[in-house]
Formats: sequence, C-alpha cells, structure tokens
Amino acid sequence: MESRRLREFTDAVLRWLAGIIVCAIFLLPLIWVLSISFKPPEEWIAYPPRLIPEKITTSNYVVLFQPGNPVGGVGAMVSAAEPVTRAFINSIIVVPIATAASLVIGFLAAYATTRFQAGGKSLPLFVLTTRMFPPVAFAVPLLVYFRALGLIDTQLALILMYTGFTIAFSLWMTRGFIEGVPKSIEEAAILDGASRWRVLFTITLPLVKGGLAATGLFVFILNWTEFLLAQIFTSRQAITIPVQVSHYVGAVGRFYGPMAALGVVASIPVVVAGYIIQRHLVTGFTFGLVRE
Amino acid sequence: MANPEASIIRLEGLRKEFDGVLAVQGLDLRVREGEFLCFLGPSGCGKTTTLRMIAGLETPTAGEIYLREKKITRLPPQERNVGFMFQNYALFWHMSVFDNLAFGLRVRRTAPGQIDRRVREVADMLELAQVLDVRAAKLDLSAMQRVAMARTLAVDPDVLLLDEPLNNFRPGLRERMRGELKRWQHQLGRTMVYVTHDQEEAMTLGDRILVMNEGRSEQLGAPRYIYEHPANLFVAGFIGRPAMNFLEVEFKREGEAGLLQRDGLRLRLPRDLTAALESLPSSRLVLGLRPQHLRIAENGTAREGGVFRAVVDLVLPLARKQVVDLKLGDELIKMVLPADRPLLVDDAVSVAIDADRIHLFDRDTGRAIR
Repeated sequence: MESRRLREFTDAVLRWLAGIIVCAIFLLPLIWVLSISFKPPEEWIAYPPRLIPEKITTSNYVVLFQPGNPVGGVGAMVSAAEPVTRAFINSIIVVPIATAASLVIGFLAAYATTRFQAGGKSLPLFVLTTRMFPPVAFAVPLLVYFRALGLIDTQLALILMYTGFTIAFSLWMTRGFIEGVPKSIEEAAILDGASRWRVLFTITLPLVKGGLAATGLFVFILNWTEFLLAQIFTSRQAITIPVQVSHYVGAVGRFYGPMAALGVVASIPVVVAGYIIQRHLVTGFTFGLVRE
Repeated sequence: MANPEASIIRLEGLRKEFDGVLAVQGLDLRVREGEFLCFLGPSGCGKTTTLRMIAGLETPTAGEIYLREKKITRLPPQERNVGFMFQNYALFWHMSVFDNLAFGLRVRRTAPGQIDRRVREVADMLELAQVLDVRAAKLDLSAMQRVAMARTLAVDPDVLLLDEPLNNFRPGLRERMRGELKRWQHQLGRTMVYVTHDQEEAMTLGDRILVMNEGRSEQLGAPRYIYEHPANLFVAGFIGRPAMNFLEVEFKREGEAGLLQRDGLRLRLPRDLTAALESLPSSRLVLGLRPQHLRIAENGTAREGGVFRAVVDLVLPLARKQVVDLKLGDELIKMVLPADRPLLVDDAVSVAIDADRIHLFDRDTGRAIR
C-alpha cells in the first residue's frame, strides 16, 4: 500500500517536472524577447545577461512607429527604417484573407473528397505534393508568372500564394474531422428531406467547427510568420511583418531592441486569435458517444 | 391496418452489387401493413443493404421497390416518406432535442405553430417532454434511442425502418429497450421493418421473420413456425440455441419399417414418414435434432425413434438447466437437460430420440424433408 502511494507521488512529481521543463524550453525565448524589448541598446547583448532590464525603456516600441524618434539612441539607429504601420496593415489584410480562403476551399475540398471521392481516391495525395518541395522551388517560376501579371509587390500576390500553399494543410486537417462525423447523421438529415447543401451547413459544419477552428489557427500562424515568399515577392508596398523584422539590421549590427519589440507586437494578434478559438479547441468532439 | 393481407412494401427481384460483390441477390418480399417484420441473419447477409435500399440510401442494381403499389425504386429518400432509425441513432449532437425533432418539419416548411404542436406530441408519446431543451449529446442512451425514434416519427412516415437499434446497449438495458420497442409498436400501429442479427430479438419482436443468408432469403414466416419447421439446413442451424445437432444418416427399409442408420445409431421411423422418404431419389439424409428434444433414456426403449449410447464430454451448468456435450463416435452432440439430473464427464448415457420430433434434410440440396 505504502509503496503504491509513493509511486503515485513520484509519478506526479515527474509528470510536473517534465511539464515544467517543456514549458521552460518554449517560454524562455519568449520571456527573453519580452525582456529585450524593454532594454536600451547598451543592455541588448550585455554580459552577464539580466532578465529584468536595469533601465526600462519603451523607446524600442516608439521607434517602430516613428523611426528617428526619440532623437539619439535607438531612434538614431533605425531612422532609415519604414514605420511598421504599413507592414502591419499588410499582414492584417493578407493573412486573414488567405487563411479564410484556404479554410473554405480546403473544407469544401475535404468534404467532396471524403464523402464523394471527388477527383478520385488519390486527389488529396496530389494536393499534398504541393508541400513535398521546398517553397523556394516554386518561387522562381512564380516570380516569372507574377511579373507578367504585374503582381509583384502586391497584397494579392501574397494572398494567392498563402492560400495555395496552405490548402494542403486545410484539406488534410479538416478531412480527419469530417471523417469523424458518422455518415448516418447526414443520411438522417437527407431522409428528413434536407438538401446536400443544407446538410453540409446545418449538420456537418456545426459538428466540425472545433476542428475548423484548430485548422484555422494553425494556418493563420503559418501565414502570419511566413518570411521567404514575402521577402522575395515584396519590396516596399506589400511587405509583411516578418520582412519588416529583417529590416532592423544596420551596418554595425542587429538592432535587437526594435526587433524584439516588433516580435512582441506581432504575436499579439496570434495570442488573441488563439484565446478566442481556445473554447472551440477544448470542447470535445462528441461523436465517440455511441460506438459505430 | 384495415386489410392485414395488403402489402405496404413490395420488393421484386431486388439485387445489389458493390464493386462486383453481390450483397443482395434477387429478393422478393411483401411487407404487410402494420406488421413488425424482422430481417434476421449473420452479418454480411445483406439485411442492412436491403433496408437501406427500401429507404433510398442505396440504389438497387436491379429489381423494383413498391410502396403502397407505387414504384419508388429510383425516388430520392426524402420523397419516399419512410422513417429510418440508425444503429448509432445519428442524432444531431449539436442541437437540442426539440431541434432534432423539428428538423424534418422545418425542412418541409411546416408552419411554426404546427411544428411546435407535433414535436410536443411525439415528445409526450416517448416521454421526452422534460428534455426538449437538452442538447442531444448530453442525453443518456435510453433517451437517445427515444429521440431517434421520435425524430423518425415526427414527420409521420408510412413505414419505420430500424437498423439494429439495440446494438449499443449492455445486456440488461437491451432487454428493457426491447420491451419498449414492442410497446411502441403496439401503441403506434406502424409497419416496422427491423434488422437484427440477434435471433432472440427477432423472436420476441417480430410478427414475422425473414431469415437471410448470403444475400438471399432463406425463409419467411412467424417466429414459432420457423423454429418448428425450418425450411433448410441454414435456418435449422441458425435459429435455436444451442444450435440444432446435425448427423449424416442413411435411410434404409427393413421389412415394414423404415430406418435411419449410422454408426452407433438406429432410428425406427413411423409409417407415414417411411412412405415419404421412399419416394425420394436419394437416401443420403441429414438428421436434425434439437438439443431440447433429446432426453436420457430410462429403462425400456420406445417403439418408434431410437436410443444411442454416448459419453459425456462436457457439462455446462446453467441456472435451471445444463447443456451437455455428448460424444457419439467423432461427432459432438449437444443436449439440454434439467439441472437436477446429475451428470459427470465420461459418464456413459443412453439418449432417446422421439421419432416425431426429428428434422430431416436432403444432404445434397440442404432442403427440409420434414
């Protein structure tokens, strides 16, 4: 009896320990970024490092929106950079649209391929092949196309690419959730007289909305943090936040402070989106209630 | 239910192939108005496929389906006015009980007031009035079953098709829900076609049973009749528990009397049966013996019938009876005895067979002779 209690106790301790270690590994860089974002330039890479800045400053944040301000210090370093506003607006427009488009197309394609084997059994696999090459392999041919179409440095170019490159994820993730909805539920609705579209929107969609939320968040993060394509296809007008981050590099080195500040600002929408969606992620998928 | 002979559903040469595999091969059937008909058979016998074809969820490869003598073979499911209760109930988990029941009526653009009235009506009938606002996913199994039933009833279908609706229940509850079903059927007076692989369920629920095997109809009839007069070896072996014993025997004539013979067994036949067997082309038969019809022979042998000596191989005691495996040569024969008859493994016993309780089948065709 005693030894069993002891084992349960050590089990719990080990579980917690493992959890804490994993969390630390993931959270430490975040905390570090947060810390740097409030540090003046002399403290960015000071040794020994300090978690709490000696002199807390908000100028890293101010300088994002007003380069050259405050005068001297950080302001002087990044006076040549564009205000972050444009990148922010671009990201805020491009990413949600591309994510929504990818999700809608992916979901409908997933429904068609799981329920009707539309396009044949291997169509979903073909879609997956778009992820089997590094995106850079597509970049050069796409550059040629987009130049011909006059889409270089436009939001539309990014929307098209982000939608296309994430459809494979949307399709495959939602497929799993759709397969989890027993066919008989749809058949019951059809017997009741509902049309296919009505079944899709009033029965299937509400049942997989948790899965769609999870997929949406995943795709959103992918698009929000995409750097390579944005770097290649934009120059001034359509730059996104990840590209903007790379601009805080001077002849003498990296401007860690503004980079960190932008990192913090850029993660706010993701955290907010994750928080909103969390409720749907947690609410279980209730199909397992009655076994097939 | 005016005319019990009137058929509400008629199947004519119904066939279904899935990728070259025959699921249902040429089924003819008349379902009577108001009856409770069970499709009974092992899994994969085509019973669910047949039910789904009646509902319109599968399209037949060949053959026709009639509902009240109207051809509905190619009609989409929603235009047939049949209710279907799925094995997993297929409730709309994300909706309240009320919305589940109202779904079909809303699709049909029924007036809201009328929807409300009808939903409350079926909810009262199936004791769901208390849970109308509860989400379907939160219900217990018995309530789920009632919601599934109520949902099919809400749109007032001509026929109810039920696909193994009791499969998910643990044994105790299963028997209770079986009783419920039987009661509903009486209350509702609906024609019900019920698919099951559980013979006990079919026996208790069905007015008639259609025994199916490998996509074919083996026998159609009242439960008692099928048990007492199985049409062939398959039905004989499938219905009844423990299963009927089969022994290969030869028919022989010895003077006036007919005899069934094999190693260790001689069975004298009554005159009428002898005459019937004589007119057959083959004397190679299968003797069918229900375990319940065998008894331990006390002194004296019967005039008709026979006695064989066997060794007890295994005794399985149950509450009020025991199932005994006997060894007759290489064959194992099961018999059911009252629990108060003490028997031990390796006991030698004499077992009596009553000639008027035997079943006989043609060994080549499998068809029942008697």
